[in-house]
Amino acid sequence: MNGRARGFLLRASSIVLMIALWWVAALLMHDNEVLPGPAAIAHTIASDFVTPGPQGHLAYFHIGITLARIFATFVTSMLLGIGIGLTMGLSRTVERSLLVFIPLLLTLPSILMVFVAIMWFGFDEIGGLVAVLVIVAPYVAVNIHEGAKAMDPSLAEMAMTFKARKTLLIGKVYLPQLTPYIFSAFRYGFGQTWKIVALAETFGLKFGIGYMFSFWFEQFDMSQVLAWIIMFVVLMLILEHGVFARLESRAFAWRAPIAQ
Amino acid sequence: MRETMTANGAAVTGAAARAAVTVSNMTKRFPAPGGGDKFVVLENISLAVEEGEFATIVGPSGCGKSTLLNVIAGIETCDAGSVAVAPREGRKDAPRIGYVFQSPRLLNWLTVEGNIHFVLEAQNVPRPLWQERVSRHLEMVGLAGQQRNYPLNLSGGMQQRVAIARALAIEPDILLMDEPFSHLDAITARKMRFDLMEILARARPTILFVTHDLAEAVFLSDHIYLMTTKPARIFKRVKIDVARPRKPEDAAVFDLEKALVREFFSVIEAGA
Repeated sequence: MNGRARGFLLRASSIVLMIALWWVAALLMHDNEVLPGPAAIAHTIASDFVTPGPQGHLAYFHIGITLARIFATFVTSMLLGIGIGLTMGLSRTVERSLLVFIPLLLTLPSILMVFVAIMWFGFDEIGGLVAVLVIVAPYVAVNIHEGAKAMDPSLAEMAMTFKARKTLLIGKVYLPQLTPYIFSAFRYGFGQTWKIVALAETFGLKFGIGYMFSFWFEQFDMSQVLAWIIMFVVLMLILEHGVFARLESRAFAWRAPIAQ
Repeated sequence: MRETMTANGAAVTGAAARAAVTVSNMTKRFPAPGGGDKFVVLENISLAVEEGEFATIVGPSGCGKSTLLNVIAGIETCDAGSVAVAPREGRKDAPRIGYVFQSPRLLNWLTVEGNIHFVLEAQNVPRPLWQERVSRHLEMVGLAGQQRNYPLNLSGGMQQRVAIARALAIEPDILLMDEPFSHLDAITARKMRFDLMEILARARPTILFVTHDLAEAVFLSDHIYLMTTKPARIFKRVKIDVARPRKPEDAAVFDLEKALVREFFSVIEAGA
């Protein structure tokens, strides 16, 4: 058996084991109000996709809203963060003035920022966006700035001796050296973004997975609460491992020989 | 005071040959670390490399040889004198300068072919010519068929061969080589020198080579410029009149090397 198949089998069996433990615990507890079993939750999830919920929407609608929010706020914060990070790398003045207060933003707990943003901008999309921007963009900027500082000047010199134009220099020399930093910012930023979006939805925004979670929490419907948590987790796992991991292994194909 | 070779002295032997690179009374100063007066790195340097010639500058480490190449390559300016690189006969556009550094300086995220495409694009070589340029020069450096491989799959010597192919692929008017074999083990370096000789016989590029290794210089060059340090100046120009193909063990090569080593160190040590 090769390493890949082995790894897959290990992961699959640990998930199966976890579900089995859950099933046993639910059997022992014998109280669907506190801990519904896996079968009951699976049923709830399935019904959420075919029976309209409290607002008259199917689960697809809320999942779509949450994804759109994550996507929009994430892309905005990445672009802003990369822009700030690159400017810091290029200009000493910008670097010095921003380095003072970026650590302040980095220490800000995201839950506080969600409350502040909602108080400032109200229970709408702008509040969520601002919360994500303030938390994620500084982190991305710091990462890109590190990447810009770590670039190998001898490669830029090589490019200049061969008279490479700016576009060629940026595209083939600078950006590839920044890619690992962009990816690391990407991963962390994405993790932060969906947590903040879920928080904002839970505390204030209308619609979305977090909104449904808090709705059922108020109804004290444990099987619905668990159902929405599981939908959220599965969705994020698919994005993390199905999409980002694949993009990453593609971008770093040239490194494969050393990794082996 | 030592005698310094002048541009006139260098041009005498050239007869009717065209100069590919002409450096006249060039001086370069660097700002002193921590401010204050600038110190002189290169003083009154003059040399002329003829088209198709293999010229080598030999000097101790840190004497400013790399700086000289950088000034010729146009990535550093000089403070006095002039540097001119002439395009090959019959071409009107800007001179093409190929550069092989001490380390390969390849873009590891691009394939071998991608690395060569990078400089072809930088030099505005028309795209339809690329494939032929890549395969011809990879073949020349002994890496035929490695187009799609990534640099990190190659040994240090092979990476340096890619760097040589990259510099040759733009068909440079002058090929600058800055101690290109100094990072390789002795056996690989020896093999690379033989192969470079073979490439010379086929492509006849004009080469300005820099090294601190007199044996290497005598084996490879048509002319050698000996350089002292602090500030760097050229104190002797030597013609290596040994027929090619040469062997490092040839008596003529060996004797010349011995004589030059003696002279070189007497000057260097007197200066130090």
